[in-house]
Amino acid sequence: MMTTIDAFLAAKGIYLLTLLLLSLGVAGVIVCNNYMKKLICMNVMQVAVIFFFLCLGQKDPGTIPVAMNEAVKAAEYINPLPHGLMLTAIVVSLGTTGVGLSLLLRIKEKYGTIEEDDLLKKQAQQARRDKKRRELHHPGDDE
Amino acid sequence: MRRAITIILLIVSITVPFIAFDVLPAIGDPASAPNTHVSDYYIEHAIEECNSPNMVTAVIVDYRAFDTMFETTVMFLAGLSVVIILANRPKSRIPAPASLKRLRDTSGNPVYRTVNKDVMISIIEPVILIYAMYVLFHGEISLGGGFQAGALIGMTYLLDIMVVGRKRPIFNLPKDNSAALAGIGPFIYALTGFISIIGGGLYLEYNKMPLPVHQAELHSLGITAVEIGVTIGVAGTIITILNALMERISFDDDND
Amino acid sequence: MTANIPVLVILLPLCSALPCLALTKVNRHLGNAVVKIACLGSFVLSVIQLTEVVKNGPIHYAIGNYAVPYGIELVIDSLNAVLLVAFSLIGILTLIFAGNFGDRKRPMMIAAANAEIALLITGLLGMTSTGDVFNLYVFLEITSLSAYCLISLGGSRGVVSAYRYMLVGTIAATFYLLGIGILYGATGTLNMGDMAKILNEGGHDNAMLVAMCFLIPAFGIKMALFPFHGWQPSAYAHAEPGSRPLITGVMGKVPALAMFRFFFCIYGTDFRFVRLSLILLGVFSVIGMLYGSIMAMGQSDIRKILAYSSVAQIGYISLGFAIGTPISLAGAFLHMLGHAFMKGGLFFCTGAIRYKYGTADIDNFGRIYKKMPLTCGLLVIASLSMIGIPPTVGFFSKWYLALGAAGRHEWIYIAVLVISSLLNAVYFFKLIEKVFIRQSAGLKERWKSEEFELPVSIILPVVVCFLAILGLGLFNVRIIDILLMTLEGVGL
Repeated sequence: MMTTIDAFLAAKGIYLLTLLLLSLGVAGVIVCNNYMKKLICMNVMQVAVIFFFLCLGQKDPGTIPVAMNEAVKAAEYINPLPHGLMLTAIVVSLGTTGVGLSLLLRIKEKYGTIEEDDLLKKQAQQARRDKKRRELHHPGDDE
Repeated sequence: MRRAITIILLIVSITVPFIAFDVLPAIGDPASAPNTHVSDYYIEHAIEECNSPNMVTAVIVDYRAFDTMFETTVMFLAGLSVVIILANRPKSRIPAPASLKRLRDTSGNPVYRTVNKDVMISIIEPVILIYAMYVLFHGEISLGGGFQAGALIGMTYLLDIMVVGRKRPIFNLPKDNSAALAGIGPFIYALTGFISIIGGGLYLEYNKMPLPVHQAELHSLGITAVEIGVTIGVAGTIITILNALMERISFDDDND
Repeated sequence: MTANIPVLVILLPLCSALPCLALTKVNRHLGNAVVKIACLGSFVLSVIQLTEVVKNGPIHYAIGNYAVPYGIELVIDSLNAVLLVAFSLIGILTLIFAGNFGDRKRPMMIAAANAEIALLITGLLGMTSTGDVFNLYVFLEITSLSAYCLISLGGSRGVVSAYRYMLVGTIAATFYLLGIGILYGATGTLNMGDMAKILNEGGHDNAMLVAMCFLIPAFGIKMALFPFHGWQPSAYAHAEPGSRPLITGVMGKVPALAMFRFFFCIYGTDFRFVRLSLILLGVFSVIGMLYGSIMAMGQSDIRKILAYSSVAQIGYISLGFAIGTPISLAGAFLHMLGHAFMKGGLFFCTGAIRYKYGTADIDNFGRIYKKMPLTCGLLVIASLSMIGIPPTVGFFSKWYLALGAAGRHEWIYIAVLVISSLLNAVYFFKLIEKVFIRQSAGLKERWKSEEFELPVSIILPVVVCFLAILGLGLFNVRIIDILLMTLEGVGL
């Protein structure tokens, strides 16, 4: 019994850790009330998937994929493909985070808060005010 | 309580299928599918086909160069989006928090005013720039490449602004110009692909480029051109995001 | 040069968007003109490509001339050749239309917004034509990032909905990445054709099932399928008015095409759990069709009505997948084409009305037809098409869906189709009643213009959408034939 668990953990334990990280990130995005915390959890989630892919690229006796000498044997080097793919994923997550931060800045300036329930309250107030203004003055001119 | 239930449910629903179905290859297994099918080809043919001992570079800018082109475009897009989203200047600046002023009373000047400008500008920044050039042109042989070089150049600009303040940086790039520059980088990348179409090949087929050099050199040339494009794109984007954010948040104590 | 058409279709919008800002620095009109010309060129090339594909069969374009599993491949079959034509047409129309919105005093901002639209078009066309699962992810991210930005341009509520869409959309992208990670772990390749070949050798059913559990939410979020649609109504309603037709008309359809590629081209019908997954998809789409129509009935803002109706219409498309016979798949793709023009056209109309009167509340639309006859013509024909009245395209796509369902004796699906169409009729006839019968609300024009009804750049998209809805309906047999060239043999 113990040996099977040991063997399982040795072969696939790291997958479990990355998936744990992923589910914590997803849970954070869903549960957190603060938009900044949601953004941080989103980053955690993306990092988890990067780790997951890097696990797939591991090869036991292999070294980093830079050729040392002329005769290259496939067994000597680890898989270069996941590393290349994850470079893309890192850049994408950087871009998404940048856009998210600038959106947060706008939200904070407009509503003065980045807590979700406060924000929803303020949006409802704003909608009511807009409706009243539209009825009083003239039809039209929505934002 | 509701939070705990959500988190536990998510963890269970994501991890249990993996244990129950046992779908993933063992870590480090040399005979697993990802380690045999395509990857062997990349490892064994990178030197002869792409003239690049660094296989990761060969994969990203030669075999899967199309991906990397759009990856650079994603960088540009992020910079452009930040500029557009933050384009309208706010009516009032965000005031400096009172705690900051109190902090300065107790602990002296902020860190960036204590840096020695002469050391920074004349010694450290040139070294970083030279290192960036090394990383850029050496990327196909050893570790490195366009993204790292671009990040280093962007970092130099950041250091510059931190030391001398944004009123008088050494080379001044307003955000419109830097966004245009960030677009030029991926454009160079895309044009490199078109050169091989002119030579009668397919898109990004480096060894059909109509250039008067030896066949083996064409791949190196193509990779270098592409990496230069990536560098310009990344550096431009970092500077753009920096500029856009700094126009927005300038504390009132910013008086040097 | 003709051999390079598949890649040129994607690259022309890209290569115009990248230097757009630099060109605008040179001359304030140059950047925008280049973007428009390039997108027009992309449309022309996609038409040429369609004729080529119909004549000679599918095109496989290997980028960098590397053999198939090692490099990236673009695959153009008759299916996505047709979709490319439609999507690039809506793209160029949107670019023309969007010039009327935005701050004219700031040329750099207009150029930047145009570059964003061109990049959105690039992402959509790339997702449609790629044959590599990771390349699809990169295009997906380009699409999403430009969409976040364009949605956030629509005022402060747009910013909040863009932020929420960003969080949800990133979960979708991450799940997609995880799903293809599992498939990569099982097969060791990223090329769609190669992956399909290895998976069909058998023995990977568990990995495929687990991957599917991540792929359905991923595509579901991106195409706003029923239980994952939470971000969609506010994002569609508050997006920037100029680019709204592209976002609402095309953005939900392309992930649906990707879902089709995964379920029917990569997984195939030999997959052990195929029935299970199709039933799951069917349940989602049936509930979505009813829910979207009922929610739309309660709204009074035309943008919200159309946004909720999109939830229902996406349900029709995924219902076609859930039935899974070639004829129903063809119906789903015809609906994809038709709905792109219907929803795009309806948002062109709302944009035109907003441009002239600045309102989006249907209670203010009284007798608007007298002042805007062309726009109201499109409004009516698109509404009729949504309900499904011949000879518009909406009728024929529903007809083929029902035909497919009858072929597999799925009577529940037919019943839901009919009920959902009736619900559609309720709120679209309400809209038509407001436009034609109700007393005029005395709207004031925002601009005094000499032109007839509206500027040409707004009239042109309206007229083209009008013709497209009728044309797709009248020539539906020809289009179904083209679609069936690929779909024959795919499906149950």
